[in-house]
Amino acid sequence: MNRRRGLLAVASAGVLVASLAACGSGGDGDGNDGSSSGGSSWTLGTTETVTAMDPAGSYDFGSWNLQYNIFEQLMVVPAGESDPQPDAAESCTYDDPQQITCKLREGLKFSNGHDLTSSDVKFSFERNIAIADPNGSSVLLGSITDSTNPDKPKLADGAIETPDDTTVIFHLNKPDTTFMKVLTSATSSIVDEEVFPADKLLGDSDVVGSGPYKLSQYKAGEQAVLEKNDKYAGEREGKTDRLFIQYFSDPAPLKQAIDSGQVDIAWRTLSPTDLNDLEGNDNVNVLKGKGSEFRYWVWQLGTPVGKQKAVRQAAAYLIDREAIAKNAYDDTVKPAFSIVPPGFAGQKDSFQEKYGDTPDVDKAKQVLQQAGVTMPVAIKLGYTPSHYGPNAVDEATELKGQLENGGVFKVSVDDAEWERYQTLYKQNAYDLFILGWYPDFLDADNYLSPFLRDGGFYGNNYSNPQVNKLLDQELAETDAAKREEIIGQLQDITAEDVPLIPSWNGQNVAVATKNMEGVEETLDPTYIFRFWMISKK
Amino acid sequence: MLKLLLAPFRNTTGIARWILITGLVITAMFVIFAIFAPWIAPYGFAQKIDASGDRFPKMGEPSAAHWFGTNDQFYDILSRVIWGARTELTVVLLSVLLAVVIGVPLGLLSGFLGGWVDRALVFVMDALYAFPSLLLAIVFAFLLQARLGGAGILAAALSLTAIYIPQYFRVVRSTTVSAREETYVEAARAIGAKPRTIMGKYLFGNVIQSVPVIGTLNAADAISTLAALGFVGLGIQPTEAAEWGYDLSRALDDAAAGIWWTTLFPGLAIVLLVTGLTLIGEGLNETVNPALRKRRIRKVVLTRGSVTEPERPGTDQNEVVTP
Amino acid sequence: MSSQGSVPRYVAQRLLLVIPMIWVLLTVVFVLLRVAPGDPISASLGGKLSAEALADAKHRAGLDRPLIVQYFDYIKDVATLNFGNTFTDNRPIIDVVRDNGGATLSLTVGAFLIALLVGIPLGLLAGRRRDTVSDVVIRIFGVVSYAAPIFWTGLLMVILVAPTGWPTYDIASAETKFLVEPRTHILIVDTVLAGNTDAFLDVLQHHVLPCVALGLLLSGVFIRLVRVNLLQSLKGDYVEAARARGVPEKYVIRRHAFRNALVPVITVVGLQVALTLGGAVLTEKTFNWPGLGNQLVKYIVAHDYSAVQGLVTFFAIVVVVVSVLVDIVNALIDPRVRY
Repeated sequence: MNRRRGLLAVASAGVLVASLAACGSGGDGDGNDGSSSGGSSWTLGTTETVTAMDPAGSYDFGSWNLQYNIFEQLMVVPAGESDPQPDAAESCTYDDPQQITCKLREGLKFSNGHDLTSSDVKFSFERNIAIADPNGSSVLLGSITDSTNPDKPKLADGAIETPDDTTVIFHLNKPDTTFMKVLTSATSSIVDEEVFPADKLLGDSDVVGSGPYKLSQYKAGEQAVLEKNDKYAGEREGKTDRLFIQYFSDPAPLKQAIDSGQVDIAWRTLSPTDLNDLEGNDNVNVLKGKGSEFRYWVWQLGTPVGKQKAVRQAAAYLIDREAIAKNAYDDTVKPAFSIVPPGFAGQKDSFQEKYGDTPDVDKAKQVLQQAGVTMPVAIKLGYTPSHYGPNAVDEATELKGQLENGGVFKVSVDDAEWERYQTLYKQNAYDLFILGWYPDFLDADNYLSPFLRDGGFYGNNYSNPQVNKLLDQELAETDAAKREEIIGQLQDITAEDVPLIPSWNGQNVAVATKNMEGVEETLDPTYIFRFWMISKK
Repeated sequence: MLKLLLAPFRNTTGIARWILITGLVITAMFVIFAIFAPWIAPYGFAQKIDASGDRFPKMGEPSAAHWFGTNDQFYDILSRVIWGARTELTVVLLSVLLAVVIGVPLGLLSGFLGGWVDRALVFVMDALYAFPSLLLAIVFAFLLQARLGGAGILAAALSLTAIYIPQYFRVVRSTTVSAREETYVEAARAIGAKPRTIMGKYLFGNVIQSVPVIGTLNAADAISTLAALGFVGLGIQPTEAAEWGYDLSRALDDAAAGIWWTTLFPGLAIVLLVTGLTLIGEGLNETVNPALRKRRIRKVVLTRGSVTEPERPGTDQNEVVTP
Repeated sequence: MSSQGSVPRYVAQRLLLVIPMIWVLLTVVFVLLRVAPGDPISASLGGKLSAEALADAKHRAGLDRPLIVQYFDYIKDVATLNFGNTFTDNRPIIDVVRDNGGATLSLTVGAFLIALLVGIPLGLLAGRRRDTVSDVVIRIFGVVSYAAPIFWTGLLMVILVAPTGWPTYDIASAETKFLVEPRTHILIVDTVLAGNTDAFLDVLQHHVLPCVALGLLLSGVFIRLVRVNLLQSLKGDYVEAARARGVPEKYVIRRHAFRNALVPVITVVGLQVALTLGGAVLTEKTFNWPGLGNQLVKYIVAHDYSAVQGLVTFFAIVVVVVSVLVDIVNALIDPRVRY
C-alpha cells in the first residue's frame, strides 16, 4: 500500500516538473512571427463566419467574400461602381427584359488546370437550384427556377442555353432587370463540373475555382489560407502570394489583435468604442467606405395602434436619427431618410422631404389631433438583443425617449431572442419593431420588393395595390431614367404610408495597419472584400 | 432562535471566527444595497437623464456627480452596482431556495425509502451532477430564453436551480442513509413511529444542518455562473434589471480602449460578493459541523473541497456516509 | 451497490453503468433541446426565407416528424458514433470534435499543471501553518482567484501583456497552423512530431496566458483540497503514532502527512474535469482559443440546435467515461472506496 502511494507521489513530482516545462518556459523564444512565406503575406481578422465554401451552400458575408476571391462570376461590380462589368464573361447583354446573352473569355481555366466552359456555367446554376440548400441562396435565382414541385426545385427547362463552349443564353421566366446584378453575386460563382457533385455540397477544403486566389487551407472557425492562382489571367490578378484570414468569435480579441499589429487588417465587426479608440492609434488607419446595411423600425399594421396612419406618421415626425447615430452608435452609422440607401440610382430622401430633418413634436401632435387620436398613445416597442449586435438595445431605449418627448407616446420596451422574435413580430406582439437588412445584390429594387409587396419579409400586413403595380413596372423597365422615376415614386409613397421608418444605414469600416495598400478602395456598398486589390508594403 | 443564530460565533475561535465575520460583513453590505437600493443608489439602474433633464455623459470618468463614472449606455455605474446587488441576490435566493425546496425532500425520500426509487433517482442525479455545471446552466438558459421570451431574472434563476438540485439531493440523501441507522431513529421506529414522522421529525432536523453550508457555497457559485451567462450573452437585459455580468461583458471592449472604470467596478462587486459568500460557507463549515474538528471528518471535508464543484457524487460521498 | 467486492467485480460494475448513464444524459439532452419551441432552421434562416420556404426546409431536414421517431433516430445515431452535423455551417460534429478538441485538451492539461504547481505548495504551506497569517493569506488568495470571473482577469492579463508583443489570442500564429501538418490534431504535439522548434515555441507561447488564467482559477480548488487533506492526515493514527514514537515534527509532516495529503489530490484531479470544462468555455471565448467550448458558445449564439445537441452529447459522453475511469482508478489505489 505504502509503496504504491510512494510511487504516486513520485509521479506527481514528475508532473510538476513537466508543468514547469510546459507552461512556464518559452519566454525566450523569439522565433515566432517569423515570416516564412515572403514579406508580402498579410492577415485579415474578422468576426464573420463561413457557412460553406461551396457557392451552393451559403448566403452570408463571410462565405461570399471568400467565394468572390476563389471563384469567377460572369459579371463583377468593380470597387466603388454600381454597373456590372464582365468577369468570366467577355460581355453580357440584355437582348430583351427576359433574355441575357453572355460570351465567355477565351481560354478560361480553373486552378486545377481544367477548362472552364459554358457547360460549367450551366452546371453551376443547375446544381445550385437543385441542391436548394437551406443555408444557400438559390432563392435569388427565381427567374430561372422551375418550382412547380416545391420539394424538388430545378432549373427551368431551357432556361439556360449553351450553343457553344463560350456562349451562355439565359431565358428568364419573367421580365427581370435585376438578374444582371444576380449574375455578379457569389451565388452565381462558376464551379468545376468535374469536381463538384451535382446533388450535394462539396467539402469546404476541396473547393476549386477560377478566381484570382485559390484556397490552400481551411480550418473552420480558425483560419483560411489563400494562395495566388497562377492559372488566373483576368483583370483581378492578386498582388499577394499568400494571405491569411483569421476568424474571431468576439470583437474584443480582434481589437487587441489589430491594436498590437498581430493582424494587418480588421474588417467586420468592431464595436463603436473600439473604433473610436483605434482612431487614436498611430500605427493603424480606420477606413470608412459607404455601406448598404440598413436598420428600420417597422410598424405592425395588424395591431390596433399600428393600423392608424396618423400614429405611424407621428412617430416619423419624432424620430431623431442624428441622436440615434450619435448616442447608440458613436456616429459609426449614417442617418437614413429613405428605404433605399444613398448612391443608388433613383434614391431620394423622401422622409426628409416629408417630415423634415429634425424631430418636430408640434407636427406630431398636430397629425394626431387631426385624426382624433388621444395622447399619449401607448405602444409596445420590440427589439432583439443579440442578432443585431449589443447596441440594438441602446437604439431601442433611445427611440423610446424620443417618442415619449412632449408626451406624444407612452412606450413600453420588450425583447426576445432572434428566433422567437421572428415569430412574435409577425404575430402582432409589437406595434413597432426593429429589423435590419443587408442587400443580396446592389439594386434599389432589393430594398423595395422584399418589404413593400404585401408586407413582404416583414410580415407587417402592409398592402397597397398601387405599390404592387409600380414594383412590377420597375422590374420590367429597361430604360434607366423611367425606372428611376418609378423608384422615386415608391419611396414617396412609403414616406406617406409609413409602413416602416428608416433609421440608419451602416458604413463599411475596416482598420488596417499603415503599410497596407488598397484597403480603402474596396470598402464600398457591395461589402465585397477584394483581396486581389490589397497588398502589404 | 437568537441562540441558534449566534451558535456559529460561539462555536468558533480565532481565524475561523474572523473568516466568518469578514464574510458576513461583506455579504451584509450587499444585502443592504439590495434591500435599500432605491434610497442608496443615486440614480435608477436604467436612468440616462438627470433631474434637470440633462443627459449623463457617455463613458464619463468618475466625478462628483458619478462617483464610479458612466458607461457606454449612459448609465451611472455606481447605481448599476448597487441595483445589481438586488438582481444578483434575487436570482441567487430564488435559485437556491428552489433547489433546496426540490432537492432536500427528494434526497430525504430517496435516502429513507431506498430500493428501486432510490437507485433511479441517484442515477439521474449523478448523471446531471457529473455534467459541467456551467455548461448545464448555459444549455438551460439557452432553452429557457426561447421558452420564456426574453432573457429574464426568472429564466436565469431557473437555469441555476437546475444545476444545484442534484447537490442537495446527494448530500441530504447520504446523510439520511447514515442517519437512518442511528440509534435514535431505530428507537423511534421501534416505538412505532410512522415513516412520515420519522422523516419529518428525526431525519429532517439532522439532515438540514448541512444545507446552510452548501447554500452559501452555491450562492457564491451562482453569482459567478450568472456573470458567466451574461458574458456568453444569455444574461439579463439592461432595461429589465442591472446585472453585473451583463455590464462586465459590455465593458470588455472599453477596457481594451483604456476605459477602466466600466470594467473595474462591476468586476470588483462580483469578486467581493463571491468572496464574502464563500467565506461564510467556510466559516459555517467549521462551526455548524463540529465533526470537522473530530475524526470522522471525511464528509465535511469533501463538501468543502467541493466549494466550487463539490465532491463528485457517487463513490466518495457514499464512502463517507456508509459506516 | 452494496457490500464489498473484488476489484474486477467493481470495475465490471462501473463499466456496465456507463451505458445507462450515457443513456440518461442523452435523454435529458434530447428532451431539453426538443421540448423547447423553435428549431434550427427558423433560428438561422428566418430572416431571409418566406414562410413556405421555411416549411419546406424543415420538412427536408426531417424536423416535422413525430418526436418519438426523432428520439430513436438520435439514440441510434449516437450509438453508431454519429453526432450529426452542425446546421449553420454543415460540419459533422465529429469533425468539430477532431479539429477543436485538441486545443481544449492542451489548454486544460496546461491549466491543470499550473493549478497543481500553484495549488499544492500553497495548500501544503497553509495546512502546515494552520491559523497563521500565511494560512489566511493563502486561503484568501484561493477564494479570490476562484471568485474573480475568468473573463475579467483574462482581459486584465491581455491588456497588460499585449503591448509587449506577446501573443494574446489563439493557439498559434497563422503561419504555424498553416505549416504544421495535423497528425494528432493536438497542435503542440504536432509541432513536436514535425520537429519544428520555432513552431513549438510559438504554440507554447500562445498557451501561456490562457493556461495561467484557467490554472489560477483551478488552483483555488487545489489549495483548499490539499490544505484540508493535510489537516486531516495530521490527525491520522499513523501520524500520531509517529509522533508518539518521538519522530521529529518536521519529519512527521514531510514523511507521513504530505504524502498522505497528496494521494487524494491525485485522484481528485480526475474529478475536476467537469469544472475544468466549464472554465474552459469562458477561457476559450476570452482568448479566442479554437477549442470546443468556444465552438459551443458560437453555436449557441447562432441558435444552432443540431450543433448544440451534438456537442453537448459529446461532452456528456466524455464526462461519464472520465468519471467512471476515475472511479476505477480510485478503486485500484484505495480499496476503501469500494463499497
